Amino acid sequence: MALIRIEGDNLVVVIEGLDKLWAFKGSLTIPLANVRGATVDPGIATEPKGIRAPGSHVPGVIIAGTFHQDGEKVFWDVKDRSKALVIELADEQYTRLVLQVDDPRATVALIESTLTERK
Amino acid sequence: MGRPRAFDEDEAVRAAVALFGGRAYDGVSVDDLVSHLGVHRNSLYKTFGSKRGLYLIALRRHLADDVRPLLDALAGASDAAAALRLVTSADLDLLLLAAIERAPVDEEVAAEVTAALAAVDQAIADALGVSADLAAALTAAALGIILRGNPDNAATALAQCLDPLT
Repeated sequence: MALIRIEGDNLVVVIEGLDKLWAFKGSLTIPLANVRGATVDPGIATEPKGIRAPGSHVPGVIIAGTFHQDGEKVFWDVKDRSKALVIELADEQYTRLVLQVDDPRATVALIESTLTERK
Repeated sequence: MGRPRAFDEDEAVRAAVALFGGRAYDGVSVDDLVSHLGVHRNSLYKTFGSKRGLYLIALRRHLADDVRPLLDALAGASDAAAALRLVTSADLDLLLLAAIERAPVDEEVAAEVTAALAAVDQAIADALGVSADLAAALTAAALGIILRGNPDNAATALAQCLDPLT
């Protein structure tokens, strides 16, 4: 599970608990200027994810770590796919983040409204 | 920026107008978009950034494709009956849903909806030579008639009251 918050001009993602071991990451800090948007997307976990390195993919249990597909680098941390959200980035190491959060709709609303205010 | 987009963006946006206009924003999942737009999920995110990003583009497309021609047609309306008929027969599905569902929670949508409705008011005011307030009342009545399922008698009765005034 991930905790997402806005700190000043950054979006901060904190990977919680044991997930950070599988994901090989404790946290990510991304300038809001490089965040294109966020979307609730429970269906994404059923799609092909590409090649994992490094990280962990135990089908049906956890998808965590960095996946490479079609020249894109995607960071995953999802156990409960019904709570998955997608954050699309620009000019970052990752093309997008696929994360599990407690309340995907509220998190998407937070990110999208913050981006709108900054326009 | 990676591979060329293997889909027709224009067609995808038009399909999104129909989807959002038929099922509302919350009723359309990314799975729905992927299956109806002919776009891979990754391309969808790469091109539009988010579902909301696509929605805003679709809303603007609806205003350009469906509301703009209504404004042009309204310029030729000779009386209130004609103006009511034009508005109640236009395809305003996405605009109406946006006004109800998204405008209260999304200021960018609110700005688009407000501007579009103001343009309809203005077109009616110009065509009929009535005040902006009366034109806004006519627009409001026409939208209400659409929501009520377009009962003919309502528009006719209203036009009979209004046309002597214009």
